[in-house]
Amino acid sequence: MAEVASSSVLNVLEGPRAKWKYLDNILGREGPFTDPEWEPGQPVFEGLERAKVLVIGAGGLGCEILKNLALSGFKDIHVIDMDTIDISNLNRQFLFRHADVGKYKAEVAAKFVEKRVKGVKITPYCGRIQDKDDEYYMQFAMIVCGLDSIEARRWINATLVGLVDEENPDSMKPLIDGGTEGFKGQARVIFPTMTSCIECQLDMHAPRAAVPLCTLATIPRQPQHCIEWAHIIAWEEERKDITLDTDDPEHITWLYQKALKRAEEFSIPGVTYSMTQGVVKNIIPAIASTNAIVAASCCNEAFKIATNANPFLGFPETENYMMYTGDESIYTYTFEHQKKPDCPVCNPNALARPLHVDGNSTLQDFLDGLAERPESQLKKPAIRTEAKSLYYQFPPSLEEQTRPNLSKKLNELVESGEEVAITDPAFPLQFKYKLIFK
Amino acid sequence: MLKIWSMKQQQDEAAQAGTKKKKVTAAQLRVQKDLHELSLGSTMRTTFPNPDDILNFTLTIEPDEGMYKGGSFVFDFKINQNFPHDPPKVKCTQKIYHPNIDLEGNVCLNILREDWKPVLNLNAVIVGLQFLFLEPNASDPLNKEAAEDLKQNREGFKRNVRASLGGGTVRGQSFDRVLK
Amino acid sequence: MADLPPPVQGPTAKEKKYDRQLRLWGTTGQAALENSHILLINSGPGVVGLETLKNLVLPGIGNFTIQDSAVVSEADLGVNFFLEEEHLGGFRAERTCALLKELNPDVQGNFITEPIEPFLNKPNALDPYTLVIVAAPIQPALLMKLSAHADASLIPIFYVHSVGFYSHFSIHLPPTFPIVDTHPDPETISDLRLLKPWKELLDFATEKTNGLDTMDHEDHGHVPYIALLLHFLEEWKKGHDGQVPQNYKEKTAFRDIVSKAARTNNAEGGEENFDEAVAAVLKSLNPPEPAGSVRDIFKTKECLALSAESASFWVIAHAIRLFYTKYGVLPLPGSVPDMKARSADYIQLQNVYKSKARKDLAEVVESVRFLERSLKRSTPIEEKDVEAFCKNAAHIKLVRGRPFHVVQASESLKWGDRAKSIAQTLAFPDSLIPLYIAFLAWDEYVATHAKDALGGVPKVPGETDVETDTEKVTGVAIKFLNDLVKEAAAHIEEDELYIIKAQTGEFAQELVRAGGAELHNISALTGGLVSQEVIKVITEQYVPVDNTCIFDGVKSRSAVIRV
Repeated sequence: MAEVASSSVLNVLEGPRAKWKYLDNILGREGPFTDPEWEPGQPVFEGLERAKVLVIGAGGLGCEILKNLALSGFKDIHVIDMDTIDISNLNRQFLFRHADVGKYKAEVAAKFVEKRVKGVKITPYCGRIQDKDDEYYMQFAMIVCGLDSIEARRWINATLVGLVDEENPDSMKPLIDGGTEGFKGQARVIFPTMTSCIECQLDMHAPRAAVPLCTLATIPRQPQHCIEWAHIIAWEEERKDITLDTDDPEHITWLYQKALKRAEEFSIPGVTYSMTQGVVKNIIPAIASTNAIVAASCCNEAFKIATNANPFLGFPETENYMMYTGDESIYTYTFEHQKKPDCPVCNPNALARPLHVDGNSTLQDFLDGLAERPESQLKKPAIRTEAKSLYYQFPPSLEEQTRPNLSKKLNELVESGEEVAITDPAFPLQFKYKLIFK
Repeated sequence: MLKIWSMKQQQDEAAQAGTKKKKVTAAQLRVQKDLHELSLGSTMRTTFPNPDDILNFTLTIEPDEGMYKGGSFVFDFKINQNFPHDPPKVKCTQKIYHPNIDLEGNVCLNILREDWKPVLNLNAVIVGLQFLFLEPNASDPLNKEAAEDLKQNREGFKRNVRASLGGGTVRGQSFDRVLK
Repeated sequence: MADLPPPVQGPTAKEKKYDRQLRLWGTTGQAALENSHILLINSGPGVVGLETLKNLVLPGIGNFTIQDSAVVSEADLGVNFFLEEEHLGGFRAERTCALLKELNPDVQGNFITEPIEPFLNKPNALDPYTLVIVAAPIQPALLMKLSAHADASLIPIFYVHSVGFYSHFSIHLPPTFPIVDTHPDPETISDLRLLKPWKELLDFATEKTNGLDTMDHEDHGHVPYIALLLHFLEEWKKGHDGQVPQNYKEKTAFRDIVSKAARTNNAEGGEENFDEAVAAVLKSLNPPEPAGSVRDIFKTKECLALSAESASFWVIAHAIRLFYTKYGVLPLPGSVPDMKARSADYIQLQNVYKSKARKDLAEVVESVRFLERSLKRSTPIEEKDVEAFCKNAAHIKLVRGRPFHVVQASESLKWGDRAKSIAQTLAFPDSLIPLYIAFLAWDEYVATHAKDALGGVPKVPGETDVETDTEKVTGVAIKFLNDLVKEAAAHIEEDELYIIKAQTGEFAQELVRAGGAELHNISALTGGLVSQEVIKVITEQYVPVDNTCIFDGVKSRSAVIRV
């Protein structure tokens, strides 16, 4: 209580926004690029404080993002991360100390920033993004991602696309995504369903280079081949019953020894412990400076979107993607990544349309009805929900297994409001409906 | 923000309920599409231990020609949520005598690793597997002994294949009986 | 228990902590960081400098010192992450130093609360520091002093602005700043010498392609592609007066020959080694000419006229120049890309390249020793430095550091030899030179306005009277622009110039709007950029910005220009 009292005394002395003096120069003044209709001052301050933001990831980018958002005037921030702190995080994840190793990242990061920046509320969730439902994601004004997994990006992207409801402007959540690798990185802004999405941009992620299994088994030439051999083949042959834990030093040592022995057999120089760790864990170099750049770029866009203090990336038909390279001088390339018309996630047909049906009618009736709908005219449809295979015409075994569903009533198979996805060999695209029982 | 929204054309009616329901994932959708395109013919069939889970199934190949005719080979397909960015994981569930499949069931097929691309589909994978039984390949093998036999003496290799299919022993190594 | 492998010397605690960065700059880069002592001369809201230091403390620089005479105010708490409420009224240098030190117990931190002017007036005040970062605003006389120090002591100086949505930094490097370890793209580093093979390489190719046509499929499919190309080049030469393919047309014809020689009647229906050979034709069949930038280094006076005091770089460069003059090629780097081949053949090929590289290195080392003797140099250059130079000779870089602009009150701005090239790019769409000019005008305002009569804390535009200051800064910016066009004697169309002036005005207006405020995001981003460049300069690895970088946070764009 003493703390609250002293800070309110200061506020009285110096005005309620004394702390935000610098921010308010920008938010309280028009600039040459602000929209003519934009009104600086009080409404902007309030809008910023009201905007609830979700941060996904509390690692290298996440730590920076939390700090940046808190010092950009956001007041209500949530953060999700399932990971715990490792010693190798400490060279860049500056909210963590040696004593924090082993604790949950989201929790430690939230507590640290809350303590440092008074007045900001940060709510951590230590778990997977997939644990949360639409209702959870619906509460946020925008989502800022600092992830290292493509899979998680695709999931949140599809979720946010699915959230868009034509009648409700609040249902479109801008997704701001950052990624880094060594001296390179990118920041991008997505307005789900309006602009190019993560799935449209999937080819921007290079696939991980792989070496043929037979090279590993028969004609290794590089130290990495010997390590991969130990990792993929030798482990299974000799230690099948032990699950490989790439964080267990004994396991890495075993792989290292195996690889070293194999390399000696083939006179291949260069196998080291560090290389073994790097290959087996697929370690990507990471440094504080690149994280700072990419995270700040993401938060700069988040701040502009929340305040309209200047134009932001991602406005339809303008630039939405900034590529960054810092190893040879500094180079950025900011461009518009185009929406893919056949994107399996955000093309108009892929969005679940509400469809009112009679829950007492059978699946067969439903499919017959679909065959007549002008947009579908399905010939040999396959249909499923997230949890259930409803009916597959092919392959035969699956047809046989799902055939009994045809005579079941829809309300025995799906819940009202559940999404079904329908594909048909006659169409390249898929259809999604939200079945709503009349 | 509101400006962006006003650019968006109002279409269709609103969804009212069901925001808590899970959505079909991109990987599920892609596999569903790929299943339409499987051309199994008379020599292959799929089995779904849990028909609701189309990401995990087995493929049985029963070659009707070539050295492996009469065998019935079962492959386990495991597809993760990052499909088709990641390739499916495929393993042979039986211990068989084949130059390109090791005793642990690892399969050396380029499109399962280094040459996988998201534009490839599951049919490309099963065609590749089928081909392995018609044309076992002795260069850069996974099972070196089998490859050596194939290279040195094709007839002897054929005899070894017959023996192994019946659950026999080749070069002191016993194999699973995989005859139909 | 018998199965347990013998214990391995696992990574040390430090290697574990720094693992993700050691994979980039290695132990030599890390040692250089640990031997550095960085001085931050802080000013204004003071965020960008601290965000820079944060990204240097984390990877483990040895020492940092913050000079800052400001006292922590309420406004600091809304923008600076390294201050807390209880610090209000305390010295900013002291408090931020303490919180930065928490980030890494291996780093030493110091602070100086004395105002900048008396601090800089002390003799040898800058001696302890290996690199200096200066945050704007700063009085021009003091910036001049720092610039003179950079000239005299060859200490790199960084000058940084972060104002509203915009930022800028310039680097004043020594006049010769050579980099050996530039970390070129791995795709570009192989030098296979297919057009200038030596005897052992040709012998290897002959041995491996002997009886190519009658080989069984297995052997045929495993001939390393380098041997294939050399073999087919010999064949080609027989029909072309001993000449290798000369131009694009001949190269594609040669490629077709290689492509047709692949077998398709095997189990795979093709051959990977032939695919690799075909793919390499256009890329690898080029004479091993060093890049112009490398030949330029050979021509510099530092390289030609050695003295006992020459840096080792120049002695090695001179020795390599001798090698190049004698053979017409650089020493062989000795690396071979991975390719389809049997293990033993590949290792044999690798050894052919490695032993040639060792031979070349030995020759260069011999020249270096000879030069050392004739120059009477006392300490011998380490062989590993010569080796590193030989390995990367095709990719070495020389940056010519120079002073950046220091805007003085009532003095016109000179662009010198850069005027022409900068004026030419002015009219490019999206050029950020007008923003750089607006920053110079912002500095001019600082140079001509002081908060108090004593000229202590600088006054920045837009603090109170936005309109008047916008007019002032825009006016100066337009004047600078006109002067540049005049000095360059550039011809720019009237309507183009009109647009450039309008842009310059907008940039100036946006700068003044900030009223000297830093936005945390822009300062964090700029702190990332500056720290990255500091790391490159300290480790002498990768290629630093030469010499000015500008970031536009309105459009999320950047530009690098040499001024």
